[in-house]
Amino acid sequence: MNCFEARQEFPALWRKTATPERSAEVYSHLKGCAKCDHAFRVFALSAPVLHSAVEPERNAAEFRRRVAYRAQRGLSVTRPAREPRRLLAMCAGMMVLFAASTAAYLSVAAPIGSYTDEITNSDSGYEFPVDTAPTSNDFAG
Amino acid sequence: MLGLAASRKIAWSLTAKPDEELIAEVLGGDSAAFNELSSRHRPRVERLCQRFFSDPEIARDLAQEGFIRAYTALRTYRAEMPFGGWLRSIVINLCYDELRRRKRRPEELVGDFGAPEVQWMHLVNEASPENIVGDAEERQEAHDLAHRLLDTLRPEDRMVMVLKESEEMSVAEIASILGWSEAKVKIRAFRARQALRKQAERMLAVGRRR
Repeated sequence: MNCFEARQEFPALWRKTATPERSAEVYSHLKGCAKCDHAFRVFALSAPVLHSAVEPERNAAEFRRRVAYRAQRGLSVTRPAREPRRLLAMCAGMMVLFAASTAAYLSVAAPIGSYTDEITNSDSGYEFPVDTAPTSNDFAG
Repeated sequence: MLGLAASRKIAWSLTAKPDEELIAEVLGGDSAAFNELSSRHRPRVERLCQRFFSDPEIARDLAQEGFIRAYTALRTYRAEMPFGGWLRSIVINLCYDELRRRKRRPEELVGDFGAPEVQWMHLVNEASPENIVGDAEERQEAHDLAHRLLDTLRPEDRMVMVLKESEEMSVAEIASILGWSEAKVKIRAFRARQALRKQAERMLAVGRRR
């Protein structure tokens, strides 16, 4: 038996469905192969759930009664209803986004007239103060 | 003993109505026929749920929920596939939703192992394979520890591991039930095996240290 064949037999070994001869072969291989022996020990940690027959609960009559009762009334089981957490978070996020964008819009809204209009339109009434108005000397060299 | 069980099974198969007949009765208004259906499929459904959740209450609730959903959706059932397979796909999706809802995914194993758990880890390290197989059945801590190990996996990884290893489903079957591509199932199975091995190695190291 090679390593691949031995490892293929691990589930059957665990479930005790392998023939005695086959089981003996696997055990004999494990004794002589350190890698497969280690692989078996790693396998053994998850096997009680993954490879064993889990015992179902005994009270079949009670189970049937509860299913029939709830199914006929269109009820769910006793667990609490699921909270639509994701939906709530999305709604809250959208509200925050809306509020932030509104605030941003109101704070940086453009003036009614543009800056060019302001300085070119003679009707605007705006004039540079004489002492601060730029002269041609200001732009020289 | 085996002969008695076989003869009982034959007698049962001669007297029991097939699933399709019971479904027709339920659809015809005889809700009591659903009791027969549920008791027939209950052990398998509960076993499946118990592979995902260590708490028997949760497993039982999910099994019940599965039967209720099957009952309410029975009109959509088509006889091309066996009722057991149809029911199983409902329960698998329920379990998957529940796993994702819980989002209990500690990526690392918590170090607070109890004395029986440490004893089991020590035994897995030291005992012969024959003794490990022999002892595991008797020990609840082996079962608990395996659940803790599987709890470290992502929900989709755990789903694939259980369906592939425990239920022995093919990649195509898993893909069809979960609505994934086959490539995704293969990748998840590979990653799940890697992650499980890594965590199991850590557990073995804990058993060696103590």
